[in-house]
Amino acid sequence: MPDAAPRRERTARIESATRQADHAGIDRLAEELLPALIAKLGTTHLGELEVREGDWHVRLRRPYGTAPGEGRRASDRAGRTQPGHDGHGHGRAAPEGGRAARASGGASGITAGSGAASASTNGTGPDEAVLDRSRAIATSPAVGIFQPGARAASGTRVRAGDSLGAVNVLGVPQDVLAPVDGVVGSTFVEAGMAVEYGQDLIRIELAALSTGSGGSSSSPGSPGESASASDG
Amino acid sequence: MFRRILIANRGEIALRILRACRTLGVEAVVAYSEADRDSLPAQLADEAICIGPADARRSYLSAPAVISAAVVTGCDAVHPGYGFLSEDETFAEVVRAHDLTFIGPPPEVLDRFASKEGTRRLLGGFGLPTIPGSDGMLRDDEHALAEAERIGYPVLIKPSAGGGGKGMRMVRTSRELESAIKICRSEAKSAFGDDSLYLEKWLDDNRHVEIQVAVDKFGAGIHLGERDCSVQRRHQKILEESPTPAMDDAARAQLAEMAVRAVVSAGYENVGTLEFLVDGSGNAYFIEINCRIQVEHPVTEMLTGIDLVALQIGIAAGEPLGMRQSDVVLDGHAIEFRINAEDPAHDFRPGAGLIERYHAPGGPGVRMDSHLYPGYEVPPYYDSLLGKLIVWGPDRKTAIARGRAALEELLVEGVTTNIEIHRALLDNETFLEGRMTTNLLDRVGGAAFLAAAEARA
Repeated sequence: MPDAAPRRERTARIESATRQADHAGIDRLAEELLPALIAKLGTTHLGELEVREGDWHVRLRRPYGTAPGEGRRASDRAGRTQPGHDGHGHGRAAPEGGRAARASGGASGITAGSGAASASTNGTGPDEAVLDRSRAIATSPAVGIFQPGARAASGTRVRAGDSLGAVNVLGVPQDVLAPVDGVVGSTFVEAGMAVEYGQDLIRIELAALSTGSGGSSSSPGSPGESASASDG
Repeated sequence: MFRRILIANRGEIALRILRACRTLGVEAVVAYSEADRDSLPAQLADEAICIGPADARRSYLSAPAVISAAVVTGCDAVHPGYGFLSEDETFAEVVRAHDLTFIGPPPEVLDRFASKEGTRRLLGGFGLPTIPGSDGMLRDDEHALAEAERIGYPVLIKPSAGGGGKGMRMVRTSRELESAIKICRSEAKSAFGDDSLYLEKWLDDNRHVEIQVAVDKFGAGIHLGERDCSVQRRHQKILEESPTPAMDDAARAQLAEMAVRAVVSAGYENVGTLEFLVDGSGNAYFIEINCRIQVEHPVTEMLTGIDLVALQIGIAAGEPLGMRQSDVVLDGHAIEFRINAEDPAHDFRPGAGLIERYHAPGGPGVRMDSHLYPGYEVPPYYDSLLGKLIVWGPDRKTAIARGRAALEELLVEGVTTNIEIHRALLDNETFLEGRMTTNLLDRVGGAAFLAAAEARA
């Protein structure tokens, strides 16, 4: 990178006042803007949000595999196993916020109730997945019956790719794999329960807490600088 | 009757099956892929279960995923819809091995009719006039060339498995045959996992007419008239109607009676469709049987008032037909327009994306079978069918007038659709006179067809 050195020099020349403003900006970002944006992302079906303000831009992206509504599925399952369903015949639990809003707007025979119900689920699921960078979730590789293995016990140290148990598909077990290195946390589904493809099964607490990586990142660079440094 | 049915399909047909289940008082579970989580059938079902990723091979085409979903949700039957696993006899067998009922012909019946070429010989033996074709599957290029010479060019290369025009090519010379056969083999292999091909005599200016039949497990069979599916694009149907303008009442009745006699004799069971090519002189030749509910079944429902999906489910549950041929009354005229996410001005390029606005037409004799809703995202992974507009009138002229009005009213915004091609068809002289043949659109191409319609307007 031939122009890296000149850039560093320019950065060093930034006045302290500017730097202070910069820090104030970061504080505001962390305290006000980020939580608001995360909440916003949680209520939509979007995979990514980007906001530009002055010389700053912030981009939030859902971690891979945490599709909207992920957190909903465990509770969905509980509703599913009940023999009856509500008067409208929509036994399935409410879809996540974004979908419910769009569907009820569509007047396609979706009950308004599903939109209201979804509001309560918005608080957990997606938001949590985006907020908390110290955890990951092992999901179901198939539709079938869940059987946790020995390594699924809470507190067990696991490596990415370790088998935590299996989902039995017509007698053929398919491994539930740890997505990351870490320590096994809570299990969402009891042994012997029916699970669908992609359903949340086991939480993994990350071994080493890495801050600021992945999902939310603020642009480095500084005021005055970012205009010339960012070209897209 | 069944207690709970797993619908192993997507889009408009999943919704159609769901509606039949509701009518019958049967619970319906919709199996969906990750790409269809927001789909209307998944939202309206009594229960919905994700069976795999968007890739159909790991979801809608995965027998273990579908059957496992049926088992864990406590279903006692599986409805495969059309396409996907609907005519897979191995799938039907595995379904039965898990104490579930496959809604369609039993596995041994599917097996008997699995080979198109074998079926042609089987039903030919029961009195159906069949199209001249190759003696069995094509072994190699040499065999293909010899058979084509014997049948006489032009010939149609056809895959033994599957449908939807994939792996099909019409050739007029031996040179064309040699180059096309390789393409057909690879297309058939990738679409159906089976590259067996055979040859059929190609009739220029042919019409495509099919007979709807229903046979119960006790061997009682009826026909529900015919459908004319001559308006096609590269062997894919775009518009279907009944009765066919190609044949008079006596000829239609005769063909339908012949068809139902042959399939009952051959041991067919459940609903099915026998496809025929009709030449310029009105001679009909049997080409193949479809052992499933078809996309265009609503045309027949409009004429007869019979719910074909409910009938199909009842037959699979072991119930008798409950009606005789004389109970089937074919009344009036119906036309179905397939609304596809494709661009007729650009070689029918398929599209996907967000449905920004959607309005389904209404009025007397107008029916819309569609899974669309405003805000729905059409996924790019599956076929381009967005829905079907079906119109009925006491006669063809009224049906066409209602079709024009309904197409004018139909609103789909966000993706490019083929609605314009349907509007153009209803202004096309050849169509209006009922003289359309299967090459009507391909002869001029979609763009030219639209341009011509615009010039006339």
